[in-house]
Amino acid sequence: MEIIIKAFELIFTFDKDLYEIIFLSLKVSTIALLFSIIIGLPVSALVATNNFFGKKIIKILFNSLMALPPVFVGLILYVVFSKSGPLGFFEILYTPAIMIVAQIVIILPIIISINIENLESLYREYEDLFKIFNAKKINKIIIILWDARFSMLTCVLAGLGRALSEVGAIIIVGGNIIHYTRVMTTTIALETSRGNLTLAMSLGIILIFIALILNSLALIVNGLSSKYSYD
Amino acid sequence: MAYLLNILMTNKKNIITINQIFFKIKNKKIFENLSLSFSSNGITVILGPNGSGKTILTKLILGLQKIDKGEIKIANKKNIKFGYTPQKTILLRRNVFENIAFPLAMDGCNKNEIFERVNLYLKKFDIDKFKKNSARKLSGGLAQFISFVRSVIIEPDILILDEPFSNLDANLKNKIENYLINHRLKRKIILVTHDLFQAQRLADEIILMDKGSMVSKSINKKLINSKNVKVKAFLNRNYL
Repeated sequence: MEIIIKAFELIFTFDKDLYEIIFLSLKVSTIALLFSIIIGLPVSALVATNNFFGKKIIKILFNSLMALPPVFVGLILYVVFSKSGPLGFFEILYTPAIMIVAQIVIILPIIISINIENLESLYREYEDLFKIFNAKKINKIIIILWDARFSMLTCVLAGLGRALSEVGAIIIVGGNIIHYTRVMTTTIALETSRGNLTLAMSLGIILIFIALILNSLALIVNGLSSKYSYD
Repeated sequence: MAYLLNILMTNKKNIITINQIFFKIKNKKIFENLSLSFSSNGITVILGPNGSGKTILTKLILGLQKIDKGEIKIANKKNIKFGYTPQKTILLRRNVFENIAFPLAMDGCNKNEIFERVNLYLKKFDIDKFKKNSARKLSGGLAQFISFVRSVIIEPDILILDEPFSNLDANLKNKIENYLINHRLKRKIILVTHDLFQAQRLADEIILMDKGSMVSKSINKKLINSKNVKVKAFLNRNYL
């Protein structure tokens, strides 16, 4: 109980170190999410609106990548971006940049896979209309992306939740360096092992709070969807 | 009048020619060596019981499904506009206005053109008050009617209506029938139905289909008095 009270003290006294960690976590995850959206949405729309050889293989691949163990992602990125690795010249190992890359690798398959399913079912519904009225490819993509916007938002929020709760990959590639690459999840792991449960607990409470906000947002999106999606 | 119309129709070049087509779904033969043609205007009703292949035939004409063998020729195909009201209504997750505007937007019309034309049609068919409603939340009949208005807004050369009246009340049914009668000379209208009386009311020619074959193709008035044994048997079995 004492630990929890002290944890709340840290939160409400706006402890500088604590909030630095929180903001870095949010920054890294949000940037990773933005890149994943920019890459993921057009890719999922392209896969959903086209029939081509190997489509099933691509879908299986992205589905499999969703289950990729984060520690393994961390290991691969470490090998690739280490000084002797093929992309070592970027010199981004142990920086927030590689943490963003790691989170993109983890959440991109989630965004692509779930959105392919969403967009494909909508595309199947619209397909005859597109054919009869000679819709151009770009129009098809814009229409299904717009009409599926609410279900995509729920998926994007799920991606953000996954990014924020990730620990395995970023602890390997980021190194958990204080004031530089230390984020909420890696700090919880470190401080728990050190026995500093107060800081770990404060961050745990913040993570739960963020999870609650994300779930509330998902519920709000669902509510808005039934009101404004015309579905 | 009907006689003159029929002469006018038979003198016109065929807009759709179906030549010895074969089509099957999962090893079930639907069409075997089917051939028929459609003149470039007038109302052709395709009549037949459920499962006779009426809907599939329209989908093959529209290119929504591919034939296994044979050919379907559409005259001047590149410049032909299709309108289609499917049996199962497909509406976008948008309001009524945007749904009706969809073919115009795909046709490259600018915003002003779309705005004017859609509003004109909304007023013409007296559905102006629904324009901001979610199209997918409308009643089955009204949704089907919106689908019909959407199919005619581009003023198609070939209008294919697959059982467009199944959910409609008498008022909406009349609006569609009036439209079809008023536009029968301007475009080809193919109407799929299993309602013999409606077929007699609207058709210039009637194609009878049963189990994937064409039983007969005849001028409307001649159908009911036909002495053709197959036609008589068909009408007795399905309608009389």
